Amino acid sequence: MTQATQNPEEGQDQGFEPHIAAFVCNWCTYTGADLAGTSRLQMASNVRIIRLPCTGRIDPLFIIKAFERGADGVIVSGCHPADCHYTAGNYHARRKFTLFNDFIGFLGIDPRRITFSWVSASEGQKWADVVDETTSRVRQLGPFTSYRNLSGRRHAGA
Amino acid sequence: MKKEMFISDSDLRALAQELLTAGTAVIAPVQKKLPLGERIEYARVQSPDQLVFNQAVSANSLKEFIMPPTVAILCWKQRKAEVELQEIPRDPTPQVVIGAHPCDAAALAVVDRVMDWDYHDELWFDRRNQTTILSLACTAGDGTCFCTAVGLAPDSSRGADILLLPTANGFRAEVMTDKGEKLVKAHIPRFKDLENQQPLPALEAAKKKIAANLRMDSKAIQGLLEKGFEHELWKTLGLACHGCGGCAQVCPTCHCFDIVDEPEGVDQGTRRRNWDTCQTAKFTLHGSGHNPRADQNCRIRQRLMHKFFIYPEKFQEVLCTGCGRCARVCPGGMDLPEVLKMLTAKAAL
Amino acid sequence: MQALRTLARKLLTEGTVQVVIGYENGPRGARPTFVTLPEEAERLVFTPGCVQNLASYLSPRRNHLRALGKPAVVVKGCDAKAVAGLIRESQLKRENVVLIGVRCGGVVRDPALFEKLSLDTVADRCGDCDNREPKLVDHLLGELPPAPPASTRMSERMARLEAMSHEERFAFWTEQMERCVRCHACREVCPLCFCVRCLADKTMPQWIESSAHARGNLAWHFTHAMHLAGRCVGCGECQRVCPADIPLSLLNRKMAQIAAQRFGYKVCDDPQVPAPIGAFRKEDEQEFIR
Repeated sequence: MTQATQNPEEGQDQGFEPHIAAFVCNWCTYTGADLAGTSRLQMASNVRIIRLPCTGRIDPLFIIKAFERGADGVIVSGCHPADCHYTAGNYHARRKFTLFNDFIGFLGIDPRRITFSWVSASEGQKWADVVDETTSRVRQLGPFTSYRNLSGRRHAGA
Repeated sequence: MKKEMFISDSDLRALAQELLTAGTAVIAPVQKKLPLGERIEYARVQSPDQLVFNQAVSANSLKEFIMPPTVAILCWKQRKAEVELQEIPRDPTPQVVIGAHPCDAAALAVVDRVMDWDYHDELWFDRRNQTTILSLACTAGDGTCFCTAVGLAPDSSRGADILLLPTANGFRAEVMTDKGEKLVKAHIPRFKDLENQQPLPALEAAKKKIAANLRMDSKAIQGLLEKGFEHELWKTLGLACHGCGGCAQVCPTCHCFDIVDEPEGVDQGTRRRNWDTCQTAKFTLHGSGHNPRADQNCRIRQRLMHKFFIYPEKFQEVLCTGCGRCARVCPGGMDLPEVLKMLTAKAAL
Repeated sequence: MQALRTLARKLLTEGTVQVVIGYENGPRGARPTFVTLPEEAERLVFTPGCVQNLASYLSPRRNHLRALGKPAVVVKGCDAKAVAGLIRESQLKRENVVLIGVRCGGVVRDPALFEKLSLDTVADRCGDCDNREPKLVDHLLGELPPAPPASTRMSERMARLEAMSHEERFAFWTEQMERCVRCHACREVCPLCFCVRCLADKTMPQWIESSAHARGNLAWHFTHAMHLAGRCVGCGECQRVCPADIPLSLLNRKMAQIAAQRFGYKVCDDPQVPAPIGAFRKEDEQEFIR
C-alpha cells in the first residue's frame, strides 16, 4: 500500500481495504502487470489477478461470481483493439462489456465498482495507474456488502 | 368439531395483531402491489389492515410456508481432509394462517400422508406442527375452481384447525382440532358466543357454482390410468406443454424436491432442499444421458398418473384439491378440469 | 379467420404439412392448438386473444412435436421475429416450416381477458410494434386492423427505475429476486432459449446457484438477460408465465435499448440480418473503457 492511498479521510470505513479481482488477458495486460512488477512500480496491493487467454473468454458471470464471493470491485483488462493476440477476441469482448456495463447499472450495481481497460504488454505504468485508481474509487464506495448479503430468502413467502 | 363460536371482522384483525405482537408469524391473503399491477397472494403480514377476505383464489398456495422453495439443511466446512458438518437450526417461529382457502388447507393434509409414509419428513412436520390454520370458506370461486369434483367443498374443514364461515356480521368459527382450541383459549375475548349467526347464503350459491364447473369420476379415471399407460391419448395431450413447471410451482399438493450441495467458497458450502418438478426434462435425466421420460408427452402422463392413479392407489385420495391454479397459470392453455372431464368420458367408454 | 381455416385444410389435405400449429378458443381464452386432420381446421381462430408466441413450439427442444412431422405455424409479426431468430441461429431450416402470417392489430396481455382490446388490457409489446404485417411468411392473411392502443405502463416503469439511485434500484430488484422460486418457466417458454443443456443447470462447475435465494436468482436473471441480448424479440411470454409475477420484460427491454443505442440494432424478422452478439464493428463505442 503506497502512502498516497493510505488516507484515513477517504472511504466510509476507516481501515476498510477493498478486495479487487482482476480478469486480465495473458498476452497484453498480464504481461503489462508483470512489467509493472519487474520495474518495481509501487501500487495498491488490493488486487488479485486471474489470468485468461483473452478478454473474449470473459463471461459476465465471472464478474458476478467475484461479487458473490467477496470482491468489492473488479478490473477487466485486455489488449487494445487491433492488437488482440487472437485477432478479434477483444472486439467480441467489447460488445459484451458494453452490454454488461450499461445493464448492471439498471440492476442497481454501481458501475463505478468495475474498471474496464486496455493495457498493453508495454504499459506497466498504466497498469499501476488502473490499479491505484480502481482501489481508491472502490475504497470510497465502501464494501459491497449489499451484494454479499443477498443470501437466503428473507423468510418463507416473502 | 369441538365448538362453534363467533368472531367479528374487527376481532379477527385484533387477533392478528395480538399474534403479531407475541412474535407469531401471521400469514393471510393480502392485496400485493406489484411493479406492473397487483394481485391477491398469501404473505406474511406486518399489520392486520393487510388482511383481505372473500376474494378470489390467491395466486400462490400455502406450500411455501410449510415447504419453502429453498431451505438450508446443513452446511459444511472443509479443513484439509476433515469435513465439518453443521446442522442449520430450524426456524422455531410459530405461524398462524388466517383466511386459508379450504383447498389449500386440505392440500396440506393430503401431502401429510406421503410425508409420513416411508420416512417421517421432519422438515415438513416441524413447520406443520408450528402452523395453526384458520380456513375461510370461499364465496368467490371462479369458473376454474373444482374442489367439489375431488371430494372437497368451498366450506370444507379438511386440514383446518378452525373453520371460519362468513356471516352477516363476521365469521362463525368452528373449532376442529386441539390446536384450534388452544388458539381460541389463548385469545378468548375475541371469540364470542355463536348466538344466531347464520352463514351467508352466498356460501350455498358458491357450492352450487363450483359443483357445476366439473363433474368427474375419480374411481373411473383411476381405473383408466391404471390400464392406460400406452393409451393413444398421451400422443396429443402434452403437445402444448412447454415443460415450464409453472403448474407444479403453484400447485398446493405438488411436493417433489431436489437436494443440492452448493459451494460458497473453496472450502465451504450449504446443502439445500429446493422445489423441483417432474415437468422438466432433467427431472429424470440419468447420469448416463438416458432419459426414461424423454419427451413432454411422457411427462404430462406422469403428472396425471401421479395425481390421479398412483397417489390414490397408495393413500386412497387424489393428489389434487381442485384449486385450479395450474389451469390459470399455464402458458400453453392446458386446462386440468377439461382434461379430467375428458378422462371421465373416455373411462365411461 | 375462414381464410386461415381453408388454408390449413388445404395444407393438410395436400400433405404439404403434417400439423398446423395455431390458436383455438379454450376454457380460459385463446390457446395454442395442434391440428393434424383437415376436418379439425375449423377450430382455428385468430383474435386479439391470441397472445401466445407459437414460435417456441419450433424450438429443437420440443422433440415430441418434431415427431408429428413438418409444421405450419400461425405467426404474428412478433412471433415471426422469433422464428427468424431460430433460423438465424441454425436451429431451424427455412424450408422445414410453413409460416402463415397474420396481419395484427394487437393482442391482450392475458388470454383470459378474452378479446376486449383496450389500453388497459393490451399487451405491453404491442405499443412498439413495427411488424404488423410480418414479412417472413409463406402466406399472409387477414385485413390490416387499426394500430393497437399503445400502453405506456412498461415505459413508465422503466422511467421510474431509471430515475432511482443505484441503491434504490438494487432494493427493487432484490425484492423481486426474493419472489423468484427458480421454476425457470421464463426459460422454458422462451422461443430463443433452446439450449438443451442450460448454463444454469451446470454443476461442474456451478456458475449459477440453483437454489431460490436472492443471490442465486440475481445471477440467473442477469445471465438470462445477457444470453438473450440482441436475440429477445420482446414477446413478453416470460413475464406472462412467471408464477411470481416478476416484471421480467423490464430486463429484456433494457437490453434491447442498449443494443439499439450502442449497436444500432433492432430485432427484425429477417434471418439474414446478423445479431449484435457474434458481430462487431471496429468503431464500436468504448468511452467507458479506460
